[in-house]
Amino acid sequence: MKKFEFNTANKKKYQELLTHYDDIQSALMPVLHLAQEQHSWLSPEVVAHISELMGIPEIKINEVISFYDMFYDHPTARNVVQVCTNITCSMFGGREIHKGILDHFQLHNMRPSQDGKLYIQKMECLGACEMAPCMRINNIYEGHLTLKTAVQKLEVLP
Amino acid sequence: MSEVEKLPKKMIKLKWNDKDLEVPEGTNLLGAALNNGIKVAHYCYHPGLAVAGVCRMCMVEQQGVPRPFPACNAVVAEGIQVRNDTKQIKDAVEWTLQFHLLNHPLDCPICDQAGECGLQDYYMKHGQYDSAMIDKKVHKKKVQDIGCDVVLDAERCILCARCTRFVDDVTKTHELGIVNRGDHAEISVQKELHNDYAQNLVDICPVGALTSKDFRFKQRVWFLEDVESTCIGCETGCSVKISQNKSGAYRVRPIVDSEVNGFWMCDDGRKIYKHLSTPGRLVGPMVFKNSMFLPVAESEIKEKIKSKNIKFILSAGLSNEEYQSFFKEFKNIKNITLYQLPKTGAEFDGILKRADKNCNLRGAQKAFKLAGADSSEEAMKKMLDTLTSQDALFVVMPEIVYDHDNYASFLSKIKKAGLRVALTTDDMRSEFSDFHFLLPVPTFLEKEGHIINYQNKERKLNKGRSYGASDRNVGDWAHLFH
Amino acid sequence: MSIANKADYQNFTLLSYHHIPSVHHLEIFEEAGGYEMMKKCFTLDPEKIKEEVKNSGLRGRGGAGFPTGVKWGFFSKDRNQRKYLLCNADESEPGTFKDRYLLEINPHILVEGMIISAFALGTQRGYIYIRGEFYEQAMILEKAVKDAYKRGYLGKNILGSGFDFELVVHRGAGAYICGEETGLISSLEGQKGRPKLKPPFPAIKGYRGLPTIVNNVETLAAVPWIMRCGAAAYKKWGTEKSPGTKLFSISGDVNRPGVFELPLGIPLIEVIEKHCEGVREGNKLKAVIPGGSSAPIFTAEIAKEVRMDYEDIAQKGSMLGSGAIIVLDETRSIPDILKWTLEFYHHESCGQCTPCREGTGWMEKIFKRAEQGEGKLSDIELLDKVAFNMRGRTICALSDAAAMPTQGIIKAFRGELESYIKIQMKNR
Repeated sequence: MKKFEFNTANKKKYQELLTHYDDIQSALMPVLHLAQEQHSWLSPEVVAHISELMGIPEIKINEVISFYDMFYDHPTARNVVQVCTNITCSMFGGREIHKGILDHFQLHNMRPSQDGKLYIQKMECLGACEMAPCMRINNIYEGHLTLKTAVQKLEVLP
Repeated sequence: MSEVEKLPKKMIKLKWNDKDLEVPEGTNLLGAALNNGIKVAHYCYHPGLAVAGVCRMCMVEQQGVPRPFPACNAVVAEGIQVRNDTKQIKDAVEWTLQFHLLNHPLDCPICDQAGECGLQDYYMKHGQYDSAMIDKKVHKKKVQDIGCDVVLDAERCILCARCTRFVDDVTKTHELGIVNRGDHAEISVQKELHNDYAQNLVDICPVGALTSKDFRFKQRVWFLEDVESTCIGCETGCSVKISQNKSGAYRVRPIVDSEVNGFWMCDDGRKIYKHLSTPGRLVGPMVFKNSMFLPVAESEIKEKIKSKNIKFILSAGLSNEEYQSFFKEFKNIKNITLYQLPKTGAEFDGILKRADKNCNLRGAQKAFKLAGADSSEEAMKKMLDTLTSQDALFVVMPEIVYDHDNYASFLSKIKKAGLRVALTTDDMRSEFSDFHFLLPVPTFLEKEGHIINYQNKERKLNKGRSYGASDRNVGDWAHLFH
Repeated sequence: MSIANKADYQNFTLLSYHHIPSVHHLEIFEEAGGYEMMKKCFTLDPEKIKEEVKNSGLRGRGGAGFPTGVKWGFFSKDRNQRKYLLCNADESEPGTFKDRYLLEINPHILVEGMIISAFALGTQRGYIYIRGEFYEQAMILEKAVKDAYKRGYLGKNILGSGFDFELVVHRGAGAYICGEETGLISSLEGQKGRPKLKPPFPAIKGYRGLPTIVNNVETLAAVPWIMRCGAAAYKKWGTEKSPGTKLFSISGDVNRPGVFELPLGIPLIEVIEKHCEGVREGNKLKAVIPGGSSAPIFTAEIAKEVRMDYEDIAQKGSMLGSGAIIVLDETRSIPDILKWTLEFYHHESCGQCTPCREGTGWMEKIFKRAEQGEGKLSDIELLDKVAFNMRGRTICALSDAAAMPTQGIIKAFRGELESYIKIQMKNR
């Protein structure tokens, strides 16, 4: 098991995060976000390290990871793409775009591409219905999509 | 206890359906009903755990409160009128039960919980016999060995969270959690269980999701009868019940005893039934001859001890009544000492377990003192050091031994006695080969009596079924000396 | 300074600064009049501020519409006790995007609103719980908070007032239920976002077991305006029981979707026809979801009559919720809407209360069976019964939120559901 550790910059950020809260467990979600930024997913090694660092039982961390759609207990990819499939987006083809992207890149939902470039996730309402259909590419919103423009946006990703 | 706590609590009067209740201030509303013999369907509420309020079965209506609420999340208040027998509540309970059963597998015929399952019980009462659920069930992992002799069947779980609350709040070992959301939520185990109270999980699981590896498939529960008694595993003296029938004893479970053990008992205590119905139990006096134990006439023993100097080493696990009768019968014998089991483990583990494994040391000490005998370890050691070939040493063996090295070393020191007799509840194991004779005495489940625990509280031993010739307790063997 | 750079308090409350370019910069926000009220409030008796908010009749803008002043009234007045002010920026009700629009253009209006509210309530620490998906918006907010610290508007002894207030932006990670106030609290505590049993209510025992006020972004952002212009001015907008303005998020089949700040009580049809420039492509209106995905659907007939205030919508069988309006034209299939709604709630149920955990999945399964052509007409009754029995039986309102739109669709569009089941059976 390869040991995980925060890099120097993130060690500093971790210490700063703790000052934002009156107890250590409240800092868990921001710490998980931080770990995921560094490691791209929350592997058992990451969980073990955070458990030790924060003194929170591993099961409590795993409960949290499994509860939230944006924490990943399995490998993702360089680019995480979330496609909205809620009411308004579905009205304008969000589901077809999700499926179309998977077919185009020959991927499965929530499984990274073999080259580690793409990870596609079907999402519930992203809160951007005025630009339906929409998706998020690495935290950036893209709206008014068609399958064609969606594929184009993904193809140019590093 | 402070003076304030000693004051009797104010009593609160309330009405549940048409029944008037009077309970102490601060009582949980559901608890008040249950304590008064009112049957209220519930899965997640457990008086020994924090309130979760998730099974939604104990819904009630209260006059003046606009919406129904779960009784488990309320505390009694003066004059309130609560009902759970209205049509609205009955419908709600019936449907909530239906929701519980939706993804629950129909494996009652092979489920150990059958007969004491919360789902089965309430289904008989509230169930819709024409199940509307024709859609596929959510499948989860079936038989998982999660350690400490506990088996998890995730599919049977109704997510009441009693087990997770137990490992969070009682043992604080945090091995269990509920992962995922919605109907994919399930119990998850971090590596495996590692606490000394894991069998309580089996007790508190209201369905067959957590079962005991030790008990699984051994008996259908409706073929068992429970005998209330006291655990003889250590000086704590937890109140327990032993399930048995004519073919044997099968399990030990705690009885609620607010003064001693609350709702729980430790896993060591769960094992105190193991020797009760072993096949080799003595049925009468035995003699060691030609490397084996054979039945023997009492007269032969009588003959052998006649000219000897009689000495006794008692165990610290007999009942008060046994000590009394012993000292009465053997009042002429001067050489009586007490073997105390050595302490094992932490002095106190913070929950129930104690290092002192002598379940009735206080009873023994009291009886020795009354009889003018010395119950100290020094006296016992002195006796061992001064044994001679002229001595006939009677040893009342401890019923349960934890530290086998210490026990072996003790046995090795008795060999200087010319004649050695063991009074035992046990079978004919090799460790008895240093004895010339064996005499059967009753196990804790084969006699009526009392013991005194570490708090100086008296607890009762009740007589259940017998699996050996155990009618004679230690004092009853006195006739050998007359 | 040009007039265009002044806040427009005449026509807007929440969006009064939105026309000002780069108003997310603290200096520009201040130039336009921002943080003036905060400074003034420090000279007031905190009770006066609470009084003003109470008199304004401002109601919680997250969905439930509970009067903010009343909620604040339950809160401990002890200024030395550790207490928290939480801003609910989880904005997760499908169809809602108003808070995002408010924050990404003008984060300081929320920061100012929170400082004033915190001063009134005597809380020493505040958190803005923003949904994980809103990463860019969280960064904008963090910048605004940082700048406010630099200006001495946050931290210890703010502007010499003796009042301390620490403010932190806290990101969620993708769970609808964290928009429920006690789910939000659980999540902030570093746990699964499972709602907590009530009572006790958060104002008494909330975050970390301490008194906590949770208010929506829009609610807190309205406070500076109310303090500036007064409760009476605020009440000039809206209806007697639903005073003030509201941000409406409008999406779906309209020509101009977006966020509009409009007085409560405005006719829905006026919102669609005037502000959204009508139904797209001149199509006929079929139905409207008036308050986010959990609000029962209105047929076109009712949609044309209803006024957008808490009372009128409720009286017509739905709810204002978060003010998220989804417009459906004649080309839309109602069974599709139902399917997407059911999938959503099944995915989002936290799983603790049995009726919701099992009911949300069951309803989706019943629908999917019909979609596969294996449905029966009686499944509509079953769906209705399951939904009915999920209502009012759980810790939080997610169960109701899944059940209400289901029953709403059955009530308003039963015929369409029936023919859907039959067609799917035929096409099997």
